[in-house]
Amino acid sequence: MFGYLQVQKSELLVREWDAYRAVYCGLCRQMGKDYSFLSRLSLSYDCTFYAMLLLSLDRACTGFDKGRCRFNPLKKCDFARCENDAYSKAAALTVITVYYKLLDDLTDSGFLKRLLVRLLQPFFGHWRKKAAKRYPALEAAVARMMDAQRAAEQSGAGMDEAAHPTAQMLAEVLTLEARDEMQRRILQELGYQTGRWIYLMDAADDLEKDRKSGNFNPFAQLRTEDLQAYQTSVLNQCLARAYDAYQLLPLIDFKGIFDNMLLYGFPAKQNTVVYRRQEEQHDKSV
Amino acid sequence: MTNPYEVLGVSPDASDDEIKKAYRELAKKYHPDNYADSPLADVAEQKMKEVNEAYDEINRMRQKGKGTGSSGSTSYSSTGGYSSNGSSSQFYSVRIYIQRNMIQEAEQVLDNTPEGNRTAEWYYLKGMCAYRKGWNDQARTYFQTAVNMDPTNQEYQSANNTANRQGNYNYGGYQTGGNMGGGTSSGCTCCDICAAYMCADCLCSCCRSGC
Repeated sequence: MFGYLQVQKSELLVREWDAYRAVYCGLCRQMGKDYSFLSRLSLSYDCTFYAMLLLSLDRACTGFDKGRCRFNPLKKCDFARCENDAYSKAAALTVITVYYKLLDDLTDSGFLKRLLVRLLQPFFGHWRKKAAKRYPALEAAVARMMDAQRAAEQSGAGMDEAAHPTAQMLAEVLTLEARDEMQRRILQELGYQTGRWIYLMDAADDLEKDRKSGNFNPFAQLRTEDLQAYQTSVLNQCLARAYDAYQLLPLIDFKGIFDNMLLYGFPAKQNTVVYRRQEEQHDKSV
Repeated sequence: MTNPYEVLGVSPDASDDEIKKAYRELAKKYHPDNYADSPLADVAEQKMKEVNEAYDEINRMRQKGKGTGSSGSTSYSSTGGYSSNGSSSQFYSVRIYIQRNMIQEAEQVLDNTPEGNRTAEWYYLKGMCAYRKGWNDQARTYFQTAVNMDPTNQEYQSANNTANRQGNYNYGGYQTGGNMGGGTSSGCTCCDICAAYMCADCLCSCCRSGC
């Protein structure tokens, strides 16, 4: 995953920001426990969102503990207590997705980056094996996505087909948590549209790069006058549908944070990705 | 039955006004209009029903406590807007499939329809299949075609409008788009301040020279 699932800090309450940080730090600590110190560096906002969702669905967060950050011992931080396997699962998903991302990078990046990837790969390969043993369903969902993605891109698919593998992966990962058929369908829609949004965000982010290198990008073939307005509209529709599904989930814990993410954090991130180029040009002109 | 206060998310000693407020918020949230065409329409309907029942239950309990004895349904009645109005259409079976979330079967029937029979309704239903799968981009193209072919049809129009409304996602009041909320063009930039300062400076010096 790519780190697009962020909060809009300025709109959060202070206690909500603290709680969000505490989940982030709790997940970071778990990655240290389950994998290694180094693996903590791969922690992403997306997996924090996933961990927080799992905590909230089970109402498994029972409080906060005080502690210190391992990277900066001078910094005090809170850790959200976790009574289920939310952290373990999120940590597993992190190392699995990073491993596959590295594999993907090997095929389409420059020499120096490939060298770095080659160095990191054995570590993540080892952690991925460990994670896959514990959560085979997560590993299977991500592996299927990678295969489907390659096939879709080789056949020069349209936007819906290209976004389908990522969307389906997140839908599968989230529906693993469903307790009944109704919840399964809600999580399917939420996961699908959020996954679709992530994929399309990444595509919008990489458009310039992909145009230069000739890599596949679903926005590259489009002939519209106003590409940014079009991207905004496509991305908005994913968020609207994800939000409609999210509204049907009776979440209580971290509710304010989820509201913030869907209503402010994601759209804000989307604006920076879609309109970034314009801003850069603007900065130059100033 | 589950605790009606829990369904509304209020404490049992909440005031009548608080309960009414909580109920109104939930009713707004689960309103069928928000879920028209959504694959989760029936889930929303079910939630709406639960909320209505809980609200009625609380009212009944409270009125009994007060001894007025008169009880009556005070909740909004949900207006079921999902009945398909195409029972006479040639694609009746497709509509049934879509209603039951059997998208593959629906698509199969549609794809086997010969080119000559692909009416506006065909495009609408094709769009609906795509929409249910989450393939928003194709869905919008199909809906638009259906509307272009038959601009008077309410059903196609409303599906198209829903998709367009979602394209404007501003549920939280946060605007996406270049001219709003992006942070660059709203408010005043460095450039504006400089320009304003220079203007003011000009005016000042004008004045002074005049004095």
